[in-house]
Amino acid sequence: MIAIESLIKKYGTFTAVDGVSLEVKPGEIHGFLGPNGAGKTTTIRMIAGLLKPTSGRILVNGHDLARAPEAAKASLGFIPDRPFIYEKLTAGEFLRFHGGLYGMDDGALGARATEMLELFELGRWEHELVESFSHGMKQRLVMSAAFLHRPKAVLVDEPMVGLDPRGARLIKDVFRKMAEHGVAILMSTHTLEVAQEMCDRIAIILKGQIIARGTVGEVKALAGGSDQHLTEVFLRLTGGSGLQEIDEVL
Amino acid sequence: MTPRAIAATRATQPFPYLLLPSFWASRNRARRRERGDGTRAAFFGVVAVGVGGAIFSGSFWLTVQLGGFADFGDYLLRLGLSWLFLSFLSFLTFSGIVTALSTFFLSDDLRLLLAAPVSARRVFHARFARTVGLSSWMVLVFIVPVLAGVGVGHCAPWSYYWLSILATVPFVVIPVAIGTAITLLLVNVFPARRARDILMLMGLLFAGSLVVLLRMIQPEQLLRVESLPDLTDFFATLQSPITPLLPSFWAAEAVFASLQGRFDALHMTALWTTALGLVVLVAAANDRWHFSGFSKAQEARKAKFTRFELLTAAARLLPLAPVRRHMLIKDLKIFLRDVSQWSQLLLLLALVLVYLYNFRVFDLDRNPYMSGVIKNVYAFVNLAMAGLVMSTVCARFVFPAVSSEGAAFWIIRTAPVSLRAFLWSKFWIGFFPVFLLTEVLTVAANHFLGVAPMLRIVSAAAVFLMSLALVGLATGLGARYPRFNADNPSQVAGSYGGVAFMIMAVLFMIVLIVLVGWPSSVFLWYSTTNLPVPARVIVLGGAGFAAAIILSLSTWWFGMRSGVTALESMG
Repeated sequence: MIAIESLIKKYGTFTAVDGVSLEVKPGEIHGFLGPNGAGKTTTIRMIAGLLKPTSGRILVNGHDLARAPEAAKASLGFIPDRPFIYEKLTAGEFLRFHGGLYGMDDGALGARATEMLELFELGRWEHELVESFSHGMKQRLVMSAAFLHRPKAVLVDEPMVGLDPRGARLIKDVFRKMAEHGVAILMSTHTLEVAQEMCDRIAIILKGQIIARGTVGEVKALAGGSDQHLTEVFLRLTGGSGLQEIDEVL
Repeated sequence: MTPRAIAATRATQPFPYLLLPSFWASRNRARRRERGDGTRAAFFGVVAVGVGGAIFSGSFWLTVQLGGFADFGDYLLRLGLSWLFLSFLSFLTFSGIVTALSTFFLSDDLRLLLAAPVSARRVFHARFARTVGLSSWMVLVFIVPVLAGVGVGHCAPWSYYWLSILATVPFVVIPVAIGTAITLLLVNVFPARRARDILMLMGLLFAGSLVVLLRMIQPEQLLRVESLPDLTDFFATLQSPITPLLPSFWAAEAVFASLQGRFDALHMTALWTTALGLVVLVAAANDRWHFSGFSKAQEARKAKFTRFELLTAAARLLPLAPVRRHMLIKDLKIFLRDVSQWSQLLLLLALVLVYLYNFRVFDLDRNPYMSGVIKNVYAFVNLAMAGLVMSTVCARFVFPAVSSEGAAFWIIRTAPVSLRAFLWSKFWIGFFPVFLLTEVLTVAANHFLGVAPMLRIVSAAAVFLMSLALVGLATGLGARYPRFNADNPSQVAGSYGGVAFMIMAVLFMIVLIVLVGWPSSVFLWYSTTNLPVPARVIVLGGAGFAAAIILSLSTWWFGMRSGVTALESMG
């Protein structure tokens, strides 16, 4: 559903993403892990159509993003790490506008918007201005918008930031249900427990290159310890925890 | 595009749909009024009606006056219209460049729109419509009463009003399209955020060149009786920048023709074909280069910046407590690294210099009506001018000082720094530049005018009092009505608190000028007539000066106290 081939992004002489290839199948939740500045957000923003790749190819639902951007984006839902929402619109107005962007007609839109707001526990806030929302509520509203047009693939950048445990549980349940309905989800996250709990497969990116990929078990085995926690595997693969340095400083 | 791709996108909305959030947001704002919205709307409404009325009256009066000169009057009117459109042409082009940078490349909602399956062409049309609206509203607000005044003053036929609209629309579109094209080019060469800095500097150059242009015309020549034979040269100078190849000329000709009941098909066609042609060309260029430019706009986080080591070293030499010194360094560095901030101050300085230069070049002694008394009255006009400059600078730079901490205000609140010390630090950072700027302006203007020594001293003292009061009031009200989530300081200055400050500042200024102006002019009158000053007048005059001092100090105290209390009671 989402396929990227040899994706490269250079900023001047600095290569942020260096030949990344990845495939997310329908119904799969694919985790995208890596330390800060490894190239996760840059890759996701290229797939969302917000950044132009230096080279490489991105296919969404069979559409080449460079050649048929509108068709590719029509199949995609995007949940950014720092979402933009019009502060002076109500939640309902925002969803209706968003649905319109994806070509949904007014008849279907009203009922679907209410359904999504209810699903993300925002029903009673439908007629409230977004500016009065907490960070977690804004995050849930953006997720309602991303799933509104029944996308075939969803990109999620750091989904759990700012969510309370109830909100986090809700999001996990929604993602699982969506995956069961065939939606492909590519999710970048720092929360390794989330990745371990939810992802069918994961890829670890470091300095713009994918250094490990497979199921959680396969990645653990690759790091030489299948009974270890994913955090330890992640730290080993991405260059240590820095605990020794902390000890020295203290 | 494959048939599947076409099917996937066929249901997308036409471009006006993309403008809906702006309309909905405005409607919601109108429905859910916040505190102070009514006051602000009433204040700006009255100001707008007043300014519009004044422009209309001025334009009407001038047209009627010119009507008395038959053909020569018509020639001057035609020339005036050309100049009017020419000045707007350059303004609109520059405004188009700056606005397009924001609407096409830096707006937050672009991330939402560009991730959606909306064609680049639709996004272009929506963004271009927005750019035209945002860049031209100010011009339209000015040009409508001017053209209406000309029409009424010239007893123009009804067709004049329709044809004026028909000529103004493409006239506005042409420079904005050119501005958009320049932005598209700039952003593909420089990262957008760096391009914004470059544009700000270009803006300064633009304003500077406008000022030089106006100075080159030397309007003061008109005041000299012996220079009348040079009037033809003067008009030749006025005529020289007007070329038939510019859209401003076409618009002026079309409007002038309609004023006389004619339809100027040639120039109207030139306007519309050029406007439409440019839109088509810019749309094509946008399809080709917008995404690469937008992509580049995301990449400018590592732009170079100045470290200001010298500033840090200089601040270390000041006898300040470490906390105040660090706040000073932080505020100055943030201010100096944001080109959009200091460039506005430079622009203001340029205008102040022109103001002073005007006094310098006026040959006051040759003007019979510039007698001693009038010169001394000008000292108070100067004081009012300095007060206005001070109020504007305070509203724009001092009032937003607390709000400018933005989301980082938690650092101050959690640090072992009292909020009183924080606010006083903001006060002193604002006070010295404001005081120096206005004091130099007042002293220099009074010097060029040659006002009486006593008035120079009174003015200088009044500026000191005004600085204390207005900077204190701005700092305090800024803390009382902070807008930590504002995108930029201009937004803070335009908020309820900002408007309240401006109203209070103007009222304060009027009262202060009356309090110091009345006794000063009375003393001056006794001094010029060589009469002894009666004791009653001395007491009353002294009371006036004392009241001015008390008013200033209490405004200062009220402002700061109110700010400190508000910060300390912040939840």
